[in-house]
Amino acid sequence: MLIQLLKETKGVNSLVDHWRTRFAFVMAAIGSAVGLGNVWRFPYICYANGGGAFLIPYLIAIFTAGIPLLILEFSFGHWTGDSPPKAFAKINKKLEWVGWWTTLIPFIVAAYYIVVLAWCFSYMIYAIDLRWGANAQSFFLNNFLGLSNSPDIIGGIRLPVLLGLIAIWLISFLVLYKGVGRIGKVVLVTVPLPWILLVILAIRGLTLPGAVEGINYYLTPDFSKLTDINVWLAAYAQVFFSLSLAQGIMITYASYLKKKSDISNNAFIIAFADTGTSFLAGFAVFSVVGYLAFQQGVGIDSLSLSGPPLTFVTYPTAISLFPVAAVAFGILFYIALLTFGIDSAFSMSEPMVESVQSKWRITKAKATGIICIIGFFTSLIFTTNSGLHWLTIVDHFVANFGLVIIGLAECLILAWGFKISKLREHANESSDFLIGKWWDMLIKYVVPTILIFILAVAIVQNIQNPPFEYPVWIILVGGVAPIIVTFLFSFVFAKIKKRPEVK
Amino acid sequence: MGLSPSALLMLIIGATIIYGGLAYFLYRALKSMKK
Repeated sequence: MLIQLLKETKGVNSLVDHWRTRFAFVMAAIGSAVGLGNVWRFPYICYANGGGAFLIPYLIAIFTAGIPLLILEFSFGHWTGDSPPKAFAKINKKLEWVGWWTTLIPFIVAAYYIVVLAWCFSYMIYAIDLRWGANAQSFFLNNFLGLSNSPDIIGGIRLPVLLGLIAIWLISFLVLYKGVGRIGKVVLVTVPLPWILLVILAIRGLTLPGAVEGINYYLTPDFSKLTDINVWLAAYAQVFFSLSLAQGIMITYASYLKKKSDISNNAFIIAFADTGTSFLAGFAVFSVVGYLAFQQGVGIDSLSLSGPPLTFVTYPTAISLFPVAAVAFGILFYIALLTFGIDSAFSMSEPMVESVQSKWRITKAKATGIICIIGFFTSLIFTTNSGLHWLTIVDHFVANFGLVIIGLAECLILAWGFKISKLREHANESSDFLIGKWWDMLIKYVVPTILIFILAVAIVQNIQNPPFEYPVWIILVGGVAPIIVTFLFSFVFAKIKKRPEVK
Repeated sequence: MGLSPSALLMLIIGATIIYGGLAYFLYRALKSMKK
């Protein structure tokens, strides 16, 4: 009995966990923000929305929404010093469910995000003998994924994907179960390493024939696009998704900060580091895409320039055509993606681990084990023959609707249901520089208006041009159900009585 | 074929703001840590 009690007490004590240094926190937050999206989303969004001219709305979006929201989440997490459910419960006990929802949604994202990392893991091995051969598309869809014709034809689990999945969830467990001390150490490798690899890949890409044409596509500005509202919405949406906002991650990470910790300056560093990575990734991607277009004698427009098709079809095809060291660059590319993604992946599970640990007062190791096992089984659907279908549907709806709805709820609750100036004063108490009332205005009016716009446009576009040709029940199961089920679960978790504290 | 002048201009402006901004805020952080 005593041993049991001691075990529990040890777990409770470990609730008070802190970053060892400010550097560790900044690196972990950068690691969370920078992920696969910086490589496979930003360059394409930039190219499709005015090229270099897109930097104007993007930077405005960073200053008017990205950084203010980062400061909001940091100051809220730091002020409460708790996991998202407890943090929201501190404002009003009836709001605990909001905190649970902000942790459940990224947990769903983690379930499929880790499958994509499992693909990268397999491709890192395949790069050794450039196994995708001359037809990378056929290899990816048929040989690797064995993709079924429809989401309802589930088929079986793909062994190479399953092995990668086990490896990535195991790595996540090993990083998370020891607390933020270990996260702080791991990100010292997983943040700078992919950056170095990206620089190498960009330099290599830029020395290939046709690369300059690719960069021209990426950066040549089309200022007429700046009058298009959709370009501005794309900029705000990209900033919102890229900075790991509305996922409980930044609230959780900031809760581990020591009392006297900077908030405002850190938010600026993280936002600029994230943007800097995206900007650099554009050179690594478009130089190689330009080279591939040159080699195949086709237009850049005809190639897949974003998402999984870029990573698993276009890029491998280009790598196979590299004149020298194709294998080495193939391996480097997938290591870069893996290390970019891994810290984002474990940061998506961390809020859930922290919330479960603090609600049920169990050890960090036990909470991490439970979450990783549940996460692993949730991921299994994405490892089947129909996995890519489900992944595409869940990603589309959870990312476009779930996260924006949560971001909006977070903003409205903290700005209108709480004294926002209190959080500003808290941020100013320990920050390198002071933020003024302009921040209150942005959080109260500008950010919610933009998020409502993004949501409304996304709803209208989805109704007018349905993004998928699947039957309605599949869209309901894969797209709507995860949002509703997590919403219901958040109420259930909030209703469960907290386990009494061990004294 | 070389980089178009407008693409080059956006490259310079973008890199200056993004990496300059990052360097500036890192410098501020380092300065405050030394205090």
